Amino acid sequence: MGAREIIGAGSALAFVMAALVASAEPIPAIDVQLFQFQPGAVVVPSGTTVTWTNRDDIEHTVTSGDPEHRTGRFDLRLQGRGASTTVRFSEPGVYLYFCDRHPSMRGEIRVDP
Amino acid sequence: MRTQMIAWVGTASVLMLTGCTQAMAQGPGHAAMASPTAGASTMAASSGTKAAQLRAGLNNLFSEHVYLAGAATNAALGGREAEFKAAAGALDANSVAISKAIGSVYGEGAEKAFLPLWRRHIGFVVDYTVGVAGNDKAKQDKAVGDLVNYTQDFGAFLSSANPNLPKSVVADLVKHHVVTLKDVIDAQASKDPARAYTALRSAAGHMQMIADPLAEAIVKQFPDKFSS
Repeated sequence: MGAREIIGAGSALAFVMAALVASAEPIPAIDVQLFQFQPGAVVVPSGTTVTWTNRDDIEHTVTSGDPEHRTGRFDLRLQGRGASTTVRFSEPGVYLYFCDRHPSMRGEIRVDP
Repeated sequence: MRTQMIAWVGTASVLMLTGCTQAMAQGPGHAAMASPTAGASTMAASSGTKAAQLRAGLNNLFSEHVYLAGAATNAALGGREAEFKAAAGALDANSVAISKAIGSVYGEGAEKAFLPLWRRHIGFVVDYTVGVAGNDKAKQDKAVGDLVNYTQDFGAFLSSANPNLPKSVVADLVKHHVVTLKDVIDAQASKDPARAYTALRSAAGHMQMIADPLAEAIVKQFPDKFSS
């Protein structure tokens, strides 16, 4: 194997590795900042893992449903700035969520088939 | 009478928290009258600059907040329903105006997030007033605890919006706002108008301690936007 083939194989391997890393990375990312979920509404394909990261210096939660109708599907705490959490959405549908400590904070995940 | 008062305060609580007042809020540009408590020696900019207008506007809105809150609690504790509803409506219009001032700097999302957060502390003040009116110590203590916890939320919001505003500093300033307003309500409840109005002036004057640093931090964050 010549030097050119080795470089070519290396490049291909790097490309494959990058693709694997990219596909393993949870998307999309939702920032919790200024007492808002940003973006407030996202659309993802089923099977997607969504990540929330707290940018505020206060505890927030990611709680399924709305304050009047909790669904109990998830209730995750984001203790403080830099904390993150994930939820995998495997079934299509519209998933509302809110912050239990600040009920005016609302978000929505629409999961497409 | 006491039950009526509590019912009125409760009604106003709903009014304030749902924001169903139809009063239109004015932005900070419409509220650029300097607070009488603003000392000339503390003014970093001339009155003609955008920075000075921001500072004066915020001082005006925050001191108005205290005077309207004091008017609402005084009317509630005095059993004057119509006056209380009017004061509560004006207080909520002031809340909307403050949120619009925030939105004018940090955008519509921040404005929408700020308003319920701000209204929340008014709701806790209403709870405290209801506790005083009903001589319910447990309710008063719960409201004070909620207000103290709220100061952390408020500090976190402004700190998140502006890195020049440390959360703990903002929280302490808001805590002092809560304490000074509590003094007003306690004096009103004890039917001591001289003490109540002295406390009211003190509470309103304290708001400069919040408005000035907020204005200065915003100008520091966006120097181009507020340069004259």
